[in-house]
Amino acid sequence: MARTVKKNPVDLVFSSVTAIASFTVILFIIGILYVLMKESSLAIKQFGVFRFLTSTDWNPVTESFGALTNIYGTAVTTILSLVMAVPIAIGIAVFVTEVSPNYLKGPISIAIELLAAIPSIIYGMWGLFTLSPIMGDYIEPFLKKTLGTIPLVNFLFQGTPMGIDLLTASVILSIMIIPFTASIARDSFNLTPDVVKESAYALGSTHWEVIKDVVLPYSKLGVFGGVVLSLGRAIGETMAVAFVLGNNHRITSSLLDAAATITVTLANEFAEADKDVYMSSLFYLALVLFVMSFITLAIAKYFLVKAERKYSR
Amino acid sequence: MKVFFKIALVFAVMLSFAHAEAVETLNGAGATFPYPVYSAWAFDYSKVTGVQLNYQSIGSGGGIRQITERTVDFGASDAPLKAEQLLKDKLLQFPAVIGGVVPVANLENVNPGELKFDPDTLCKIYLGEIKTWNDNRITKLNPGLKLPSTDITVVYRSDGSGTTAIFTNYLSEVCPAWKEKVGAGTAVKFPVGIGGKGNEGVANYVKRTKGGFGYVEFAYAKQNKLDHVQMKNKAGHFVQPSFESFEDAAATADFDAKKDFYLWLVNAPGKNSWPIAGATFILLAKEKTDSNKKVVTFFDWSFKNGDKKATELVYVPLPKSLKDKIRGYWKANRLQ
Amino acid sequence: MLTIEKRRKLEGFLALLFSTLAAALGLFWLVFILGDVLIHGVGALNLGLFVNDPSPPGVEGGGLRNAFIGQFIITLFGTVIGVPIGVLGGTFLAEYARGRNISRIISILADIMVSVPSIVIGTFVYAILVRPVGHFNGWAGSVALAIIMIPVVLRTTENMLSLVPWTLREAAFALGAPYYKVIVQVVYRGAATGILTGILLSIARVAGETAPLLFTAFNNSFFTLNMNQPMSSLTVTIFQYAMGPYDSWHSQAWAAAFVITIFILLLTITGRLIIKWRYK
Repeated sequence: MARTVKKNPVDLVFSSVTAIASFTVILFIIGILYVLMKESSLAIKQFGVFRFLTSTDWNPVTESFGALTNIYGTAVTTILSLVMAVPIAIGIAVFVTEVSPNYLKGPISIAIELLAAIPSIIYGMWGLFTLSPIMGDYIEPFLKKTLGTIPLVNFLFQGTPMGIDLLTASVILSIMIIPFTASIARDSFNLTPDVVKESAYALGSTHWEVIKDVVLPYSKLGVFGGVVLSLGRAIGETMAVAFVLGNNHRITSSLLDAAATITVTLANEFAEADKDVYMSSLFYLALVLFVMSFITLAIAKYFLVKAERKYSR
Repeated sequence: MKVFFKIALVFAVMLSFAHAEAVETLNGAGATFPYPVYSAWAFDYSKVTGVQLNYQSIGSGGGIRQITERTVDFGASDAPLKAEQLLKDKLLQFPAVIGGVVPVANLENVNPGELKFDPDTLCKIYLGEIKTWNDNRITKLNPGLKLPSTDITVVYRSDGSGTTAIFTNYLSEVCPAWKEKVGAGTAVKFPVGIGGKGNEGVANYVKRTKGGFGYVEFAYAKQNKLDHVQMKNKAGHFVQPSFESFEDAAATADFDAKKDFYLWLVNAPGKNSWPIAGATFILLAKEKTDSNKKVVTFFDWSFKNGDKKATELVYVPLPKSLKDKIRGYWKANRLQ
Repeated sequence: MLTIEKRRKLEGFLALLFSTLAAALGLFWLVFILGDVLIHGVGALNLGLFVNDPSPPGVEGGGLRNAFIGQFIITLFGTVIGVPIGVLGGTFLAEYARGRNISRIISILADIMVSVPSIVIGTFVYAILVRPVGHFNGWAGSVALAIIMIPVVLRTTENMLSLVPWTLREAAFALGAPYYKVIVQVVYRGAATGILTGILLSIARVAGETAPLLFTAFNNSFFTLNMNQPMSSLTVTIFQYAMGPYDSWHSQAWAAAFVITIFILLLTITGRLIIKWRYK
């Protein structure tokens, strides 16, 4: 519809400038990919792709580097935080859209958005000074005493509770991603047409049954997209976990052990790296992180776009 | 919105000329360990002379990289560079302040300074061969102490650090098995234990864990009142970590100006020397004579006036004999 | 044995109770974190914090003037670089390329860019603006923030411009105005509040960023206005001080955390209120 003839020379210039401005987004993506690949070429040559991704060796002395310990840390913290965050986030979305009295809807929505606005460094600092002692002194010893004695799950709760570990990092991450998931879930819920809900009520459904059998199925695409988007966020989160994860390049089954994620390794070691291979391997890690999060976010976007199409039909 | 951009533009123009300001600045970068003492010296120095010394603690590796690429006026590193590398990169090197590493433990019924260790025991613990506190290799050294059967939870630094470099160099020096299996460096692959980030991370872990055992900088051992140990030194004496034993190590160690002071201050031969110490070094670019003179003036001033401040911050000032050697080195390189 | 009727009611009650508890938990975290920052931060606040430069550990009376000013300058230039590109880019998507595939593709890519890990952008800018120059510098920090900002501003602008009714443009076309004039004088005016709000929120987003500044603007223990030098920022200072060993550092870190949190929350609330007041 916007096919106006660009006769005017100023118009031509202006449209070109805007076009260039919008193409910077593509430029950045390609630029990041290119620069990271170039910088990591030394490490790629030395360690290859498969070996780098599957090696647990992260040894600056022998100059042998592998990403698996970092990928493992990223995967565990991300998944664990999602497991903790998603039910709560959906609960919040249900509360805001269906349960809450009207006068509470606004304030709670704002509160949840504020939770999202708090800078991640504040989460990290709070985690280090406040949450981590609580985890280390009370919650983790308790978990170790209870869940740690149950076969099949006890391997998750071995070691000495420190408060600086996978579990604490995951808790902080989960608090951070609750608002993302909650607000997307809320928006998706809101899109359920009232007519459909009302028909269900008319059939005698309870309030919860309407949510469970009408609203949730109707909005599941959007909610799923929101969850994957949160996953993408969690993968790339740096400062909140850098304080409480301990930067430990080892794969441990226990959630009470220190670990390293890709982001934490970058934050801790990037300025310290002295040798070329070390530096290059860190760029390689950044590249892996970029690709991982890009794919995750693209999947999230796919579902969100699909959801949007469905609702606007 | 337009007004906003106009203001911003004016700002931008102003700021791009701002670096014509008259303040004289020296830029340094490197090791994090001496950051507090350098910045304290710089603070006092700028009050006296007006010269600002901006020291950025980016880590020893970064310090070496930056001075090699000539992007700073001086670099700082906890790890000394060998004469060959200095020659290749056209650098000068001298020590500036001494730090020490102290093994600390968390044991009930044991007071700070009571526990005795020899190099071999320390090494075996970090290699994971000694696993419990009542292992007879430990009890043999400590006949008077009642040691529990608790597991030893080994704690190490998980981030790259000069502390780890000093500690692992010591272990490599006194323990061939360590040298062969692990090696020395700012970050190594520890065979056993848990990693704590920073000195405070290690101190925290040790404090929280019954039977915990780690290594921290002297300052932390002092401030956190952890159970530090006595170490058997090269001369065969058990010594406590203290200003005196560190100074003794620095004074008896053979710092050689001809080798640009390349020396790991570990296993020093003095009778009262603490064996796990290390100097932290300053690196200068040979051809930058002007800025070098200014940097040297700063350190000369600090050597004269900064000892008290250093001690307050629990760093060990260089002994006088070593300062004189360094001044000789400056003269020989026409920096003073 | 429960009747089906009762079971359904009970299940419903439990589920709704859970959702209420979830909301309470969300509020709990918010109050917990903000309360903690407030308690620790207010106690450490004093005038010296804003007017003095840092003193070394052990010397009383140091402040964070360098970090406050540094943060302001870095964010300001991040905004100055990022906002025009974002607004113009959004204009292209909503106006010249409206409805075309390229517009949809860039929109989607911009959405992805919004969530790309900021530390990756830090390493990218390090490679293009720090290493070639040879030292950390304030400009690199601003560029890193701008890169994060652009997609955010671009998407809000696009959305806000799309909300301006098409008929308004047609009216202007009918008067013989060229498209650029219509955009600048009619469409921008109609969407000004929305775009401005988007900019506010994007500033709130980047002002709290730490990871992209770690290897770009880095840190500086002295006050400087020189963007070619390493420049201190509140967030990086918080990271350094909180991880450091000295109690005085910790309390200054809390004070800085308090200031930056309040600033960002105020921006966010203002933005939200404007949206509410204007678009509902």
